[in-house]
Amino acid sequence: MAQAPKEYSIVGKQTPRIDAYERVTGQAQYTGDLQLPGMLYARVLRSNVPHAKIISIDTSKAEKLPGVKAVIHHENAKVPWSSGGHTHRRYIFNNPVRYVGDPVAAVAATDRHIAEDALKLIDVKYEKIPHVLDANEALKPDAPKIAPNGNLSVGKGAFSAPIEESWGDIEQGFKDADRVFEDTYITKHVNNAQLERRVSIAKWDAGKLTVYASTQGVSNARTDIAKDFALPLSKVRVVCKYMGGGFGNKNQAQDYDYMAAMLAKVAAQPVKLEFTREDDYIGMHGRWASEQHYKVGVKNDGTITAVSLDAVTNMGAYRKQSGNLSGTDFYNIPNFKKVIKPVHTNTVVAANYRAPAYPQSVFGFASFLDQVAFELGVNPLDMFMRNRAQKSKGKLPFTSNYLEQCILEGSKRIGFSEKWHKPGATAGPVKHGIGMALGGYPFRPGLGAATIRVNPDGTAHVLVGVTDIGTGAKSTMAIIASEALGIPLNQIQLTNGDTDVTPYSVGESGSRTTAFTGPAVVAAAEDVRKQIFALASAPMKSKPEELDLRDGQVFRKADSAQRIALGQIVKDSGDLIGRATTNPNFPKEMDGKCFSAHFAEVEVDTWTGHVRITRYVAAHDSGAILNRLTAESQIKGGVVQGIGMAFSEELLIDKVTAIPINPNYRDAKVPTHLETPEVEVIFVEHYDPYGVFGGKVVGEPPITAAVATIANAIFNATGKRFKELPITPDKIVRAVQV
Amino acid sequence: MKSFENIDVKSVREAVSLLQKFHQQKKSAAVVGGGSEYLQLMKDHVVEPDYLINLKSIPGLDYIKEERGGFRIGALAKLVEIEEHPAVREKLLILSSAAGEAASPQIRNAGTIAGNLCQRPFCWYFRSSNFTCLRKGGQVCYTVTGDGRFHAILGAGPSYIVHPSDTAPALVALGAQIKIAGPTGEKMIPLEKFFVLPSVDYKRENILNPAEIVTEIFVPTPKAGSKGFYHKVRERLAWDHAIVAVATIVESSGSVVRAARVVMGGVAPIPWRAAKAEEFLRGKRIDEATAKQAGEIALEGAKPLKDNVYKVKMAQDLIQRGLLASA
Repeated sequence: MAQAPKEYSIVGKQTPRIDAYERVTGQAQYTGDLQLPGMLYARVLRSNVPHAKIISIDTSKAEKLPGVKAVIHHENAKVPWSSGGHTHRRYIFNNPVRYVGDPVAAVAATDRHIAEDALKLIDVKYEKIPHVLDANEALKPDAPKIAPNGNLSVGKGAFSAPIEESWGDIEQGFKDADRVFEDTYITKHVNNAQLERRVSIAKWDAGKLTVYASTQGVSNARTDIAKDFALPLSKVRVVCKYMGGGFGNKNQAQDYDYMAAMLAKVAAQPVKLEFTREDDYIGMHGRWASEQHYKVGVKNDGTITAVSLDAVTNMGAYRKQSGNLSGTDFYNIPNFKKVIKPVHTNTVVAANYRAPAYPQSVFGFASFLDQVAFELGVNPLDMFMRNRAQKSKGKLPFTSNYLEQCILEGSKRIGFSEKWHKPGATAGPVKHGIGMALGGYPFRPGLGAATIRVNPDGTAHVLVGVTDIGTGAKSTMAIIASEALGIPLNQIQLTNGDTDVTPYSVGESGSRTTAFTGPAVVAAAEDVRKQIFALASAPMKSKPEELDLRDGQVFRKADSAQRIALGQIVKDSGDLIGRATTNPNFPKEMDGKCFSAHFAEVEVDTWTGHVRITRYVAAHDSGAILNRLTAESQIKGGVVQGIGMAFSEELLIDKVTAIPINPNYRDAKVPTHLETPEVEVIFVEHYDPYGVFGGKVVGEPPITAAVATIANAIFNATGKRFKELPITPDKIVRAVQV
Repeated sequence: MKSFENIDVKSVREAVSLLQKFHQQKKSAAVVGGGSEYLQLMKDHVVEPDYLINLKSIPGLDYIKEERGGFRIGALAKLVEIEEHPAVREKLLILSSAAGEAASPQIRNAGTIAGNLCQRPFCWYFRSSNFTCLRKGGQVCYTVTGDGRFHAILGAGPSYIVHPSDTAPALVALGAQIKIAGPTGEKMIPLEKFFVLPSVDYKRENILNPAEIVTEIFVPTPKAGSKGFYHKVRERLAWDHAIVAVATIVESSGSVVRAARVVMGGVAPIPWRAAKAEEFLRGKRIDEATAKQAGEIALEGAKPLKDNVYKVKMAQDLIQRGLLASA
């Protein structure tokens, strides 16, 4: 395995989060905790009909309610929300409304109960328009049109449709096959269900708008707000110091940020708009549901010769994100073709949720491959090993690829070969099963910026734009700075997430934080180290290039006993400022990816339909690991989300009224500790030459393989293939009765 | 949440007289113990009382006392206290299990036994402020055309709710009684008679009148030679209601059944006693075939909706399992 060029002081160790104490003691001030003088509280009125023209909206009674300070709606607050939809123009309040949950009005009042009472006093008259909930129905020619151009969601550039990709010769691939299989897999809309509900506080000072947001990206939130409010970037400040989770649904600015800003403008007072949990489930977005039709050509030994995927993805009423399906990424497919149709329906919007295009399609494709292996009489371990990705899109080499080691080490740890048996072979009502699947996520570096200030006492301030969405990004940035500077972690202060203070960051999504901002921190550290060595040159009677800095001590490389504390060197120099904006990239002929192989053992009670995961092993190739503690936590968290998606989570919509019926933690059933086994994490560590300190990515991948792994284990237990998520007790009981 | 006035009462009598007064004044009032359930209904705008009468301020109503012949449990005894009480564990195991299976640890630390028995339905149409369903004064039970995967297969219509309590099936199986205080004094009735089918009155789940409250549960200690079983099937192992729950008590002499109780949760608008199955079991030896047959008898007359047919077999299997474990 590739080795790191040198031994590190802090990278690769188990380091507690730098803000762990504040977080667990409740001292951390999350957006919802902030109180500004004179702050008002807001609530949102949402449409309770799926598709209708608003004929009139009468807010006079609401406005007269004592305590109400501002009421906004589509007539008096026509603010576009550019990033909210990429096919047809979306505003913060739309007319017509296009799904149950589409915002109709917002109220700011002196407390949230008054705001809530005021919502009931708003009289909205609707003229109903026919609606469609099912994605396949929506594609029929006579279906009610949700977007002006129809329900196939055709936007520009990245939002075009259908999403098409192909390589090789698909027809020849199927001709070369010994056998060809076809089947359809279905996944449902699941909510990100992050603990912190969406919240925003806005205030205006002399034409400058400050938004304390719960965002995954202060920079892109600022860009969005400036664009849609027609303000220069200098007149918008976005702050997010502590963030309570987003899993993809809080990137950029969202309609609630805009509503808070508009209410604050009208009321001339700061406004806090915090969603209820129901708002959170229906008012923002979840993972797109999908119907995936696969055709797979294989040799008798299991080798894939061709794969075609035809799919529809249900994006709801607006196209916020791609709607793509990419679960085939982890396999060697010589001939490939996919056609994916993102579709509009009159349902809750779908968009990014951790590894957006993956867990649903990994479920589909890895379940199907497991089924094909069964039909061929090939052991699944052989099937996955034989077809694992060795090149990207059939041709490009990866910057590093340790998928084979993930499969080998993970299968060995769980004892796959010894424990695997004929599907459904256990006697009695409680059946043992074991399963596996492959996952991962793209890795690429990109644009980042950082500033480092070395104080006259030798301590350092690191300024980065990143928000810490739960990944431990603040700690990772401080660790990178500590390692790159040679200053101990406890002498580093990190300031993050404030567009008036900190430099650009891409937005903490898509597993980009470390890969984009990390190189800038390293470069800023090198910049300031040069200045330090120039200063140290005279007192140390050495040339700058003969010097090094470690543990806060400047020393001669040739003789490390000759050393002076950094604080001595810089004490009379004011602040030394290191800065960098970096934009690294791979060579064109390469691609980056991290990989995983997951394994699970289950016990399925065929009488009750209950599935217990008895063991779970997750083997990951994420390159070198910068902080083992937070990296392992990320893997575990991703698996837990996969368990919820596999077993119970699904946003259900009443077919008659189009109203979501379970938009809350209780009924949408996110998993608890009792559903969650101890996840055994294996990192197949190696040094990727294009990663910061050899690291690739950690955040998005862990959820990708989890759903399929559990589904395949259930197949091995029951001998029944579940082709539709979630795999609930009723489905299991029904299947085993047949 | 609508504004309301909270009143801390010091005695059952005070609570009852306040309830009576507000009822006469045509003001809405409700009592709360742990509040874990009722406050959520208020937050969701399902109920909007003008007055909330806080029973927690009544001293000494949270007792669990073992007496000759049984246990007296005060209305305010918390689920966690019932779950962990050593004598309850030893002698009323199915009650202890049922209390421990309810909700989540946080809710069990706050929720009371009376509150658990008086829960409103957890039907998603009932709980949503977007639906004015039959039970909330509307015209239709949305379950009939909508999604009834968790709803009733027995004893339902015109409303298809299931009774959500875990302790209720266990207590009915144990032959518990419930004490109710009202304007005219106290009465003790079999718990089985406490619950109301929707065919009788679809706007209520129990017989409590507006000025009545539950004050105590009496649970007779099962006879020597009795064995019990409580099992709850659900999608999520904590903070989830029963899809099907089964409470069984079998009193045997030698290996012959003298008396059996089979009560189901999660399948009917009330804790559902399978009287015919109980009758069938009397005098029999419980083996796999008898247990299976008892399960089939218990589900005779089940009328599942389109989405909950699976519950029939699940309940049959669970009864079979319960009886084999109780034998």
